[in-house]
Amino acid sequence: MVLTMFLLGLVYAVLIGALIGAGASGVTIVVVALALFGFQLFASDKIALSTMGARVVSPQEAPELHAIVERLCVQADLPKPRVAIMNTNMPNAFATGRSQKAATVCATTGLLAMLEPAELEGVIGHELTHVINRDVMVMTIASFFAMLAAVIIRFAFFFGMFGGGYGGGRGGRGGGQNEEEAVVLVILVSVLVYAISFVLLRTLSRYREYAADRGSAILTGRPSALASALIKISGTIERIPSQDLRQAEGMSAFFIVPARAKNSMMNIFADHPPLEKRLAALSRLEAQLQGTSH
Amino acid sequence: MGLFDALLGRRAVKGPAASERLFALSTAYVTLQTEYSISSAGVAGIVFQPLATADFQAMVKDMVEVVKATASEMGASVESKDDDYGFRWLIVRDPQAAVEDLVVTINGVSSGVEDGGYGERLLCAVFAFKDSQGQPVNFIYNYKRGTWYPFVPADGAQKRSTERELQLKAQLADELPIEPELERWFPLWGIPF
Repeated sequence: MVLTMFLLGLVYAVLIGALIGAGASGVTIVVVALALFGFQLFASDKIALSTMGARVVSPQEAPELHAIVERLCVQADLPKPRVAIMNTNMPNAFATGRSQKAATVCATTGLLAMLEPAELEGVIGHELTHVINRDVMVMTIASFFAMLAAVIIRFAFFFGMFGGGYGGGRGGRGGGQNEEEAVVLVILVSVLVYAISFVLLRTLSRYREYAADRGSAILTGRPSALASALIKISGTIERIPSQDLRQAEGMSAFFIVPARAKNSMMNIFADHPPLEKRLAALSRLEAQLQGTSH
Repeated sequence: MGLFDALLGRRAVKGPAASERLFALSTAYVTLQTEYSISSAGVAGIVFQPLATADFQAMVKDMVEVVKATASEMGASVESKDDDYGFRWLIVRDPQAAVEDLVVTINGVSSGVEDGGYGERLLCAVFAFKDSQGQPVNFIYNYKRGTWYPFVPADGAQKRSTERELQLKAQLADELPIEPELERWFPLWGIPF
């Protein structure tokens, strides 16, 4: 995981270098970047929740789910997050929120109907570990420059169409050539940054998922209950009609199982590690617990 | 938890706090009884997360035997119960309703679990009281944080009397280490006693 983070940082440093090299003022870059970052950090969870149609529920409405969250919070020494329920048959769960105090844990009605209490506890433990590890914050920071690169590519494409006709007239002046070269360079670097960070982000996301599985197993002391939940959930997700899946696509980074039919070709780009590998990791934990943990 | 652990997604489950914070209830009970006429219901429980491993089960078996032996010397009884969430309760009943004996017995359970190397599995301890009208009042001890908070169930499902709890907080602020963050006053519904 350290290597992935290092590579991401390196790639982003190249992007910033290229931007400054192209003559963009440092202040402009910082201001725009901070504004975008702030928006992403503070608004993304609310946007995600409302577009998904998730509803925050009171302890009276969902006593069992609240009780599970509460007990795990005591165990994890964590302030209680908001608890939300999403009305869909697709069994899944996710966590959002930039900090431990602003977190929301959401489960779908399909999940609540399908799992036994111990399995549900495993899934909630997984989501709470995302909250404990501040994964939303980590992934927002990590993916921020990838997003910036994507914005630059889009702008460059737009202005490139304009600039084509207009650049010719400027060609006579000294420096015009240099400027154009610099712009082309920024676009090239942005494309590269976007492509590389895409792969790195997916790798990072998979590490966070393993960490969340492990955290849940340690928190609940029942790795096999989570394994059983994952088997149940993934078995259903592949049978779910694609309309539901498309609607859920945007949230898949924080779902416990990616809301997308599995395709082995896309494995390296998948947000979550493959089920078999997660199950293998959990069964190693169970073996440790049974044998040598103490 | 350090920043580095957060970055790497590594974290251990926290173990219990020092046990003298549990014993604070013995002295606080004097105030509860004399000034606010809240008396012990003669029962207390401790909740922990049982592991399905041979080592853990052997530890629990030994610990329960020891605790039962010491409890019966004080005239108390101990019973074990599993709740709907897969947590195990050990319930101590003392007919003389001596809070001090209850605290000692509960501490026997938690130090047994801790000595067995499973301290991080301890969740909390609950002590049941009754006010002058006979309404139940509970005090919950959070092992991870070493803090106490009142839990007063009200009429109706999943309802609690926040007002009464805040009054109790004010009344006992000097005697008990009360949990300062209200969002950590986690309720325990369906306490099996």
